[in-house]
Amino acid sequence: MILFLQSLINGILLGGIYAACAAGFSLAFGVMGIVNLSHGDFVMLGAFVTYWLFVLLGWDPFLTLPLTLTILFFLGLFLQKLTLNRIAGAPPIMSYLLTFGLHLVISSLALRAWTADYRTLNPAYAGLNFSLFGLILPYSRLATFALALVLLCGLYLFLYRTEMGRAIRATSQDREMARLLGIRVFKIFAVAFAVSAAITGVAGSLVAQTFVVYPQMGLPFTVTAFCVVVLGGLGYVPGTLFGGLILGVFESLATTYLTAGLSLVLTFLLLLIMLIFRPGGVFGRGALE
Amino acid sequence: MILLECREITKRFGALEALRRFSFSLEKGEILGLIGPNGSGKTTLFNVLAGIHRPDEGKVIFRGQTISGLAPHLICRQGMAKASQTVRPFREMSVLENLLVPGMYGGKLGLKQARERAEDVLNLLGLEGLGKVPSGEISLSERRQLELGRVLMTGAELLLLDEIMAGLNPTEVEGALRLLERIRREGKTIVLVEHVMQAIMKISGRIVVLNHGEKIAEGKPEEVTQNPEVIQAYLGKPYA
Amino acid sequence: MKALTGGRGVFVFIAAIAVLAAFPLLGLEGYRLRLLTLLFLWISLAGCWNFMSGYTGYIDFGPVAYFGAGAYAAAILMIRFDLPFLAGMVFSGVVCAFLSAMIGWATLRIRGAYFAIATFAAAEAMKQICLEGDRVAGFDFFGGSHGLTLPAPPASEFFYYLLLGFVVFVVGITYLLEKNKFGYGLKAIRESEQAAELSGVPTLALKIKAYVLSSSLIGCLGGIEAYWLTYIIPDDVFNVLRTIQMVIMTLLGGMGTVWGPVIGAGFLTLAGEFLGARFVYDYLTILGVVIVVVILFLPRGVMSLAKRKRG
Repeated sequence: MILFLQSLINGILLGGIYAACAAGFSLAFGVMGIVNLSHGDFVMLGAFVTYWLFVLLGWDPFLTLPLTLTILFFLGLFLQKLTLNRIAGAPPIMSYLLTFGLHLVISSLALRAWTADYRTLNPAYAGLNFSLFGLILPYSRLATFALALVLLCGLYLFLYRTEMGRAIRATSQDREMARLLGIRVFKIFAVAFAVSAAITGVAGSLVAQTFVVYPQMGLPFTVTAFCVVVLGGLGYVPGTLFGGLILGVFESLATTYLTAGLSLVLTFLLLLIMLIFRPGGVFGRGALE
Repeated sequence: MILLECREITKRFGALEALRRFSFSLEKGEILGLIGPNGSGKTTLFNVLAGIHRPDEGKVIFRGQTISGLAPHLICRQGMAKASQTVRPFREMSVLENLLVPGMYGGKLGLKQARERAEDVLNLLGLEGLGKVPSGEISLSERRQLELGRVLMTGAELLLLDEIMAGLNPTEVEGALRLLERIRREGKTIVLVEHVMQAIMKISGRIVVLNHGEKIAEGKPEEVTQNPEVIQAYLGKPYA
Repeated sequence: MKALTGGRGVFVFIAAIAVLAAFPLLGLEGYRLRLLTLLFLWISLAGCWNFMSGYTGYIDFGPVAYFGAGAYAAAILMIRFDLPFLAGMVFSGVVCAFLSAMIGWATLRIRGAYFAIATFAAAEAMKQICLEGDRVAGFDFFGGSHGLTLPAPPASEFFYYLLLGFVVFVVGITYLLEKNKFGYGLKAIRESEQAAELSGVPTLALKIKAYVLSSSLIGCLGGIEAYWLTYIIPDDVFNVLRTIQMVIMTLLGGMGTVWGPVIGAGFLTLAGEFLGARFVYDYLTILGVVIVVVILFLPRGVMSLAKRKRG
């Protein structure tokens, strides 16, 4: 029983991070219809920014979050203006291929710069945890989970309570109408993508606290983000929290009770089952066509 | 004979009821006009008929067979085809090739026969010279004609035409009306949705009026335009 | 080279094949023989990838799944069951047809984005099965990270002619696709899936057929590679770099065309020979930049230049 609960708790804490990773993906897709195959690389970059700030300057990984947010925001803006903007109206094929190309460039440049070594973030409080009824709850994991929730809430508030957020939602629902209302659509795309990059970067910081950091970690996270979004519903941002939790718990339980070795296979099977029986996500609110 | 029958069709999108208990029947050889203000459910009805949406309640019966719930390509092969202003042509293919696809698939023709029928359809539409032109390069009215040609190639008996006259100038509209009349004489049945009021009133034998997903009037064009409820639905936009 | 369209292209192609077939008889051997064989392999791979991604517009990001599965299927049949190579190669095709039918049916009913990422995940999952399957299930089938060693293959000329034949086969199928009903249906799906549905095209069935065709042939090619290399490990036969190269070759040459994959494969294989071994990291960066540049400036690949010149 303890094992099950521990596994469940681990899964939930993991799920929060997964949800944070996926939120930006859902945003980019919902607003611009872009499936960003380089998405996971923003996780990787956020993780590395946090890592280097810690290792080179000694700055605490939690305190550097706003800095990571800002850096990734501008990077996203830059990439959007340089490349993605030009294919904004084009068929989806172009966005898969373009972002795939970006993924190759970003991850191989990172590999060149930082080598393939695995790195871990080791702040002083890394191993500390507290026990509750025999369950182990590491402080840093609880903190990252809490921050993941804060991130998701922040995104939600941004989209639903600010002027810019409303403009973004209007544009995603009806591009023509937004244009008629005087909203500068390309500017919205740029901001939306930059926001997506920024929050994904912060998610990357949280990931750095929990996982090993290395240049090729991006692609698996892109797949993870995608799975979360399939579970929660493509384009349906509120669903990403639940999608993340479901995936986190599933992976955790599968690793504990079945086997760690085949976790990818099991996740893939979960994905297939979702696509066959419930492609609109658990809530059925995802975009299908 | 009754070609198409809708029985109590209801379609919901979340909390929104786009169609509510909509019923009507269609005789072979008719031209039926479907009108109603924006958002009244006309496009939803067409999408249900064409198989793009499955009705939540009710049935669609075509030639005595229940077809509601079938996939669009099967409905097309059964003999009911939809044309729409929002449907894009196969851009990289030539105009002729655009017609080959519906001919071979919907119309179940072989390549050679499809080519022959495509030539005939191009002549009917007045697009003879355009066969080899890539369809991405033709004008708006030619694109509309091509879309009409697409459904003609399927050999469908019942044509659902969704605002194919949108954006055409009055001369082009006249040409389109003549074309529809010719198509009807060849034995086709047509249901038409248009905002170009004069056109639809002129050519339809019967009109059905939708508002908020419900049928509010049905009858000859003259009768329907006098109907106070219809006039009110359009908020005093009289047919003059 | 730009005049390689239409009937003239066929003539040039047949002439080229005849010349290539004569080379070994005229003394071609060793490194150059193997380089050309490799070229034939890549032309075939790119051409098969083109069936699905180029003609339906549904981008497959996991073709290496079948390359690897095919390699393993052939290897296992030959090692554990002592069957000859031909049986192994056919078995590869059949296994991959089966797998791709299942995956295709699950993923092709909805938007292309799902298919793109699901296929990538499939490749990773299959790699993991071959890597970890034995350890988890407790038997000795896949050889784990040590891989499998196949029986000794015949002389290099065997693979040269086999793959040359494959090239003819793949190019031939593509050529047929340009003018037959199936091909028109696929192109219709790519251009306007909604219009295709409304024109009576059974889109799901066609997409699955294209995917199965593409994947089963890629599986056969995986089987051939396994026999040729004699030694296979998961990291090699399931390497994502193969997917990347298939994508770029077809993209560069022109997706959905007959000669695009040929041109792209030709260029990249030869360029790769000179660049690849020396700059591994940079190679990937260059490939990435090539993709980005092509998408932004020449999305229809080199073939679009040919079409433009024709006017």
